[in-house]
Formats: sequence, C-alpha cells, structure tokens
Amino acid sequence: MNPNQPPPPPNWPDKLLNWLVAPHLREEVLGDIHERFALRMQRLGERRARQTYWREVLAYLRPQFIKRRPSEYAKPLFTDMIRNYIKTAWRNLTKNQFYSLINMTGLTVGLAVGLLILLWVQSELSFDRFHRQADSIYRLENWAGTGSSRQIWTVTVAPIADYAKKQVPEVNDAVRISYNGSYTLFRYKDKLFKEDNTFFTDPSLFPVFDFQLIQGNPAAPFPDNSSVVLTETTAKRYFGDENPLGKTLSVDDKTSFKVSGVVRDFPKNSSIRADILLPISLMFKDRYTNRDDDKTLANDFSQFNYNTYLLLQPGASISSVAEKLRAIHLSHKPDDTDLSYLLQPLPDMHLYRADGTNGGIETVRMFGIIALLILTIACINYVNLSTARAMLRSKEVSMRKIVGAARSQLFMQFLVETALLFSLATLLALGLIYLLLPVYNQISGKELVLNLLDSQLWQVMGLTILGTLAASSIYPALLLSSFEPLKALRGKISARLSDVAFRKVLVVTQFAVSVILIAGTFIIGKQLQYIRSKELGYDKTHVFAFFMRDMGKHYEAVKADLLNQPGVAGVTRASANIVQLGEQTGDTQWDGKEQGETMFVYPVAIDKDFVPFFRMKLQQGANFTGAVADSTRFILNEAAVKAARIQNPVGKRFKLWDRDGTIVGVVKDFHFASMRQKIEPAVFYYAPDRLNAIYVKTTGNEAEPVLAATERSWKQYNANYPFEYFFLDKLFDNLYRVEQRTGTLFNLFASIAILISCLGLFGLATFTAQVRTREIGVRKILGASIAEIIQLLAKDFIRLVIIAIVIAVPIAWYTMHQWLQNFAYKIDIEWWVFGLAGLLAVGIALLTVSFQSIKAALMNPVKSLRTE
Amino acid sequence: MRRSDLGEFEEVVLLAVAVLSPKAYSVVIAEELERETGQTVSTGAVHAALQRLEQKGYLRSELGEATPERGGRRKRLFTVTALGGRVLNDVRSVRNRLWERIVPQTILKWS
Repeated sequence: MNPNQPPPPPNWPDKLLNWLVAPHLREEVLGDIHERFALRMQRLGERRARQTYWREVLAYLRPQFIKRRPSEYAKPLFTDMIRNYIKTAWRNLTKNQFYSLINMTGLTVGLAVGLLILLWVQSELSFDRFHRQADSIYRLENWAGTGSSRQIWTVTVAPIADYAKKQVPEVNDAVRISYNGSYTLFRYKDKLFKEDNTFFTDPSLFPVFDFQLIQGNPAAPFPDNSSVVLTETTAKRYFGDENPLGKTLSVDDKTSFKVSGVVRDFPKNSSIRADILLPISLMFKDRYTNRDDDKTLANDFSQFNYNTYLLLQPGASISSVAEKLRAIHLSHKPDDTDLSYLLQPLPDMHLYRADGTNGGIETVRMFGIIALLILTIACINYVNLSTARAMLRSKEVSMRKIVGAARSQLFMQFLVETALLFSLATLLALGLIYLLLPVYNQISGKELVLNLLDSQLWQVMGLTILGTLAASSIYPALLLSSFEPLKALRGKISARLSDVAFRKVLVVTQFAVSVILIAGTFIIGKQLQYIRSKELGYDKTHVFAFFMRDMGKHYEAVKADLLNQPGVAGVTRASANIVQLGEQTGDTQWDGKEQGETMFVYPVAIDKDFVPFFRMKLQQGANFTGAVADSTRFILNEAAVKAARIQNPVGKRFKLWDRDGTIVGVVKDFHFASMRQKIEPAVFYYAPDRLNAIYVKTTGNEAEPVLAATERSWKQYNANYPFEYFFLDKLFDNLYRVEQRTGTLFNLFASIAILISCLGLFGLATFTAQVRTREIGVRKILGASIAEIIQLLAKDFIRLVIIAIVIAVPIAWYTMHQWLQNFAYKIDIEWWVFGLAGLLAVGIALLTVSFQSIKAALMNPVKSLRTE
Repeated sequence: MRRSDLGEFEEVVLLAVAVLSPKAYSVVIAEELERETGQTVSTGAVHAALQRLEQKGYLRSELGEATPERGGRRKRLFTVTALGGRVLNDVRSVRNRLWERIVPQTILKWS
C-alpha cells in the first residue's frame, strides 16, 4: 500500500451499506462517505474522524436509500397478471369462507397425515443403507434341517468367516458379531450399570461398516483382549465429561477392561446397534482354552452363534460364494449334508425375512399405499368442490375471455389459485406435523424428527406436495378455462354430463377407499384380539419370572421361603423363558429316524412341578417325578411326536445330545413363540443343574409384597446385580408389539381417511342443497313432505356410496386375506365384517348428507323463494 | 406555485447547489453548509434532500469524475434546473416582500 495514502475508513460500515443501500446508489453513497472521511481526517485527525463516521453512516439508513429501483424488465415470476390472479384467488377464498374452510381442512389434514406416514415409510426404507459399502455387504445365513424342520438360521458357525476370507477370492472381508452374555456388570468408580446390549465383534467391523470411531484406532480398535469400545452415550454415562480413552472399567468384580475407543452412537436406522463392543478374540479365548474335548476355533462347526457379515467384491456371484462356503463347511464337517448357505443383502435385513420373502416391507407398502390413498382423498375433495362450484364462476371466466384472455392464461389463473390454497394448507400442515410428531412417535415407536436441514425430508415433502398439487389443480383448471363465453353469459351452460359423471366416479373412489379401510380395521382388530386371547396351552396369568444367577444354588431354600409368603401360589423353574423359547438343536435320535433326516427341537430342562405349575395337559404318559432316573426321561410335545412319526410314543427310545433315554409323556401343544409361527417340536428333559429361570405365581392381588420379598432374597445372593423380573403376560404382549402398533396406526389412518371423505361429501351436499334451494321451495309449496325432500337430496349420494361398497368388498377381502397369510394361526374372514363396514359407510354418509338435507328441507319456502 | 413542497432544509440545499454550481455534490454541499451554519451536516441528509429535489424537478444530475479519496467511485454532480431557479426566485421574492414590510423599530427591538 502507498504509505502516503491516508488510512481508509473502517471496513464494516461499508459492508453494512453495501448490503442495505440500493444497488444504483451504492457508488455515489460510498464515494461520498469516504471522501467526507478523508476531509475530516485532514481537518480533525483520525480519531475524531472515526468517531463521527458512524453518524455519517447512520444518516443513510432511510427508506429512500434502501428501496430498490423497480426493474425495467418484466419478472417472469411476478408479473402484473399473476399479481391479479393472486388477488382474485384471495378474494374468492375470503368470499366463500365455508368452502375455503372445508377445502383447507381437508388438504391440511390430508397433507399432514400423508406426510407423517411417508416420513415413517422413508425412515423404514433407509435402514442399513447409510453404509458406503452397503451394496457389497451381505449377511451370511444357512438353511438347516430336513422336511418340516427345514429352516433358516441367521447365525453361523465361527470358523466359516475365516475360511471365507482365506479361501474364497470374492470375499474381501468378514465381520462376526455375537451377543455378550458373559460380561454384564460394568463399574467405573461409583457408577455401576448392568449392560444388556453388548456384543463381541471382529475389529473388521470398523472398515467394513460405516460406524465412525471418534477416538481410537480404526485399524486396531482392540489392542488386546481387555479392551472395549464404547458408544458416545455409554461413555458419557460412565465418565461424564472426562476423556474416556484409557480409562479402566471393572467388570463383574473379576476382570477389568480398558477403553480403547469411542464410537459414534449407532444410527437409529441401523440393524446393528450396541452400547459396548468387546473383542471377539476374548470370546474365543474364553470358549476354547482349557476344553476337555478337542474343539478349537478352527474346527468347531457345530456352534451356531455368530452373525456373520461378508464384504464381497462388487459384482461377485452370490450363489457361487454360497456354494463355495458350503463345500468348505462340508469338508470340515461332512455330516452336515442338510446345510446350505445363502446370503442376504444388508439393506434387506430390516424389511425382508431371512429367506428373502416379504417381512416388514409389507407393512411399509401398506402404509405407503394408505398415505397415497389419504392424499388422493384430499385431492378428490378439492377437485370435486371446485368443479361443482365452477359454474358460479362462469361469468368471470367469460368476461375474461371476451376481454381477450387466452385459454392458457385462464388455465394459469386457476393453477395459481390452487397453488395459493395449497401453500396455505402446506404451512398449516407443517405446523400440524410439528405438533403431532411427539404423539406420532409414541404410537409408531419411531424417533422421527422434523429436521428442516435434512435434504431427504425435503425430497419427500417436495414430491408429495407437488404431486398432490398437480393432481388436484389440473382438472379444475382445464374445466374452468373451457367455458364458451357467449353461452355462459346467456346462462346457457349446464354442467356437461361428463363432468357430473367424473365427479361421481371420484366420490365412489373416496368411499370405496373408506370402506376398504373400515373393513381392514375390523379384520386387523379381530386378528389381534384372536392371537391375544387364543388358548396358549399353558396358564401364564400372574406369573413373573427371572434368571436366578447365583441364587440358583440355593433354589430349595428360596422356594421354601417364597412359598411361606402370603400371595405366592406356586414356584417352579426351568432352563428357559417359556413365552419365547430360543435355543434349538438338531442333535436328536429316535427309532425310525431316516438317514440324513434332521428334526430340530426346542429342548427345555424343567423341574418336576413345571407341568402342573403351568397347567399344561399331558396327553399321554406321566410327568417327571424328581427321581434320579428322570435324567434319562423325556416329555415331547405333540408337534415333536408328529414330526418324528412315533406311534405310541410312551416307552419309546429318544436321544437328545448325549442323553439316551425314553419318552415318558406327551404334552399337549403349547405356544412358545409368536402366533406367526406354527408350533414346533419341543422336548422337556430333566436336569436340575440347568434350571436357572425361576417362575413365581402369585394369587394376583398381592403381587407387590411378593415382589418385594423376592427382591430381598435376590439381594441376599446377588448383591451387586439389579433385580430384573418380567411378568409373562407383559412379555407375551411384547411379542405382538409390532402388530399392535400396526393395528393402532391402521385405526388412526382409517379414521382420518373417513373424516376427510366426509368433509368432502359434506361440502358437496351443502352445495347441492344451495343450488336447489328454490326447487325445494317450490316442491314444498306443492305439498312435498320433509321426508320426501330429504330423500330427494340424499338419494344420489347414498347410491354412490352403495356402488363404492360393491367395488370395495372384493378388494378389501383380497388384501386382508393376504395380510392374514403372515400368521400361522388366524381368523376366518366372515362376510358380516364387510356388511358392517358397508353399513357404517352408508351411515356416516347419511349423517353427513342429512345435516344439510334436513336444513334445506326445513327451510321456510317463502324465504327460499324470495331469494331473488 | 405550491410553496409547501419546498422544506427549509431543501431550500438551503437548493441554494447551496446554485452557489457551488457546476461542482455541487453532496460532500461539498455538506461541508459548505457546515461552514455557514456551524452545525454538523451529514452527507446522508444532504443526499436525501438532493434526491427529493431532483424528483420534484428542481435539480438534475449527472455522474462526475472519480477521485482517489472516494476509492475510485464517481460523484453525482447536481445543477439547478430552470424550474428550480424559478422556485428559488419565488421564495426569495416572497421573503423580500415580507422583509420590506417589517417596520425598522421592530428590527431594532430584536437586536
């Protein structure tokens, strides 16, 4: 810079003025204040010049400097004509407040609900797609079993992942994840938590998936077997604001782990979610050192316990990889002939079943369709009302045409009118969504947020709004711009037949949708009712259960103690949770088993009083007696007897694992899984050392003191662990939480769809009554009764609704039939459901229409005839 | 001729333009007025008045040369239009007529 030059004035007033002052004045204004500043500086010095500078600048903050000069060129987005259109539209809106209100309400509610559903759909579809390599990641699964036992396991053996990496060239990497049930109680200083959601994993989790390590080394997240990686939230739980890296967590008061990394919280739309990650090498070390058999990590092909994810080379053939893996598996364990591998793409995991058939995607599709239906209904309302009332504007249209408006301009005008209404409705809908979101999240079990910075949100909203706008604006605009001015001005236009017919089609569509939704609501409700009240084959009322941990060794004392409590009706134990059995084995033998046949059974070790405790029925034979000989005895369920084709089972030989024994009884089938599945084979055996789940039955009215007593006894043996119990009823309800949720949402959406339909019908009915005011007056004078007039007005609508019912019933029957196929135990669809749905639809329509009809019929004819 | 559309400040500015013509622009006018009145006058106020006067048709303007202290920006030079000159004359004659009618004793009393 030239040293002779005076220092320039402060910079940021310039910026302010540059922003505020109109462009055509900027040059002179800035020049003036700079020159003034220079003059002042010469005269008064820099300090004073700076002090006065602000006043100079502020003097320019007046409207005449800020106001922009109108552009000389027409702005295509805001021409005078468009301004005129908006003005006319606004006048029309405010003049016909009743119809505007109906239109606005319908559109607002429709848009809000439609968008809410679509947001849910979008969040479901986004599951597991955020990984950059999502398209190359597959979950490894395997088919197992023969005949009716054939099924897919989503967990695999451990060594297959290593072999896949080494011997199959298409496999780039592999990740194993396995649930951690062995290290549960984590402590840091005074913070003690029982962790339920922790997993062992290969370190390759981080390069394969996009789970971001905030701290720690992604290449070696677990430096040794005593390192853990925590999520951000978990780290905060233990360490607050301290730096978690390198801190030590003591676990189960035996071992300790050092925090070697912090991973960003797993996204809500990830199927893999954990709080704490432990190195899988630790699990292998625990499992395979000091074993008395010869099983090692490399040869244990019988422990199916690992979720295995493979990262394939792009374009690799899935079936050939699966084939190669099967060959590897069989070369190590030749007797697994029933096993074959399959791979499921990672993004399909959430919405499809393991075999690739539709799972949650059906609900997603169903809700997607419902969203579209609701939006359609809202559009139909608008189209119907605006075309019905089009005649009222025929004079305006004709005048415009005579003065010289082209049809395209009129089309534009009505487009703008719809767009105006839509933008108002959109704003209201956004507000409504914002208000409803917390409630909606609670019902749907999602955590949706209205994040206005999310581009996906805008995509969904933009598409929805544009789509509905196009659907509802084009037809009315075409119709309105089509009037022939001379005829219209002479009052000669009567609505063309096709328009009326079109409107009728739309009303029929609306009501058909409503009837389908009502029938669907009934059937879903009935099915849910059915699965919840179906005879389970055991009595779970008032029973709570928990896993005993160290209390198990003192079971007899605990039991005696509990039975002394008032309010305890019984105590028993088993090896597993009866509501939802998890463990399965194919290691079974019986007389008559065929070569290569595998029957999977759910083995449950039970105590001798288990069967009477749950009031299960023994179809044949006897219960365990508690004798030592019971350890070679089995009780099979009917499904197992049937699957194994054993005639007269009592006394026949049966072998489970290395337990060789005889069948002493057959228990009636009972439901130990969701009603979606058929009852599968289960086997009770007697092994007192494995009975770690205790069941306590209370008399029902004194659960609280019993729970308190149980907790006291728990603390005695498991001082450090929190007492966690569950009531079987509650657990059972949880099995159907998804279905329950679907049911509630379906109810809700159906009601809203019906509401919006009625709104439209209400508008139409009002309009018809208005148009026919004088006709009604004349009829009344000539002696028509009120009933006749109501009938006259309602007849047309009711006929439409009945046509809608006829169309809707087969569609409803078909879709609900499809939905019921998801359940192994389901209700029959009865015809009266449709009858009731139809009756309801007619009733609702009648109610909506009759309000207006009765009003019109009761009107004094003198008044209505005087209106002109 | 409506007198009401020429404010007092506007009148002074219009006069200043006539005085400084043909080199009248907001900075020199503001400086001149400051010197004459002894009060601070901002260029913003002057500029605003100039714009109003131009709108009314008493002034016309063109862009002049740029100088280094203006940061290379051009100035807007104002000249009085014929209408502007007539308005000034009118104002002046009204004042003169009124002044002449003040009795000398009254003037003595003020001073």
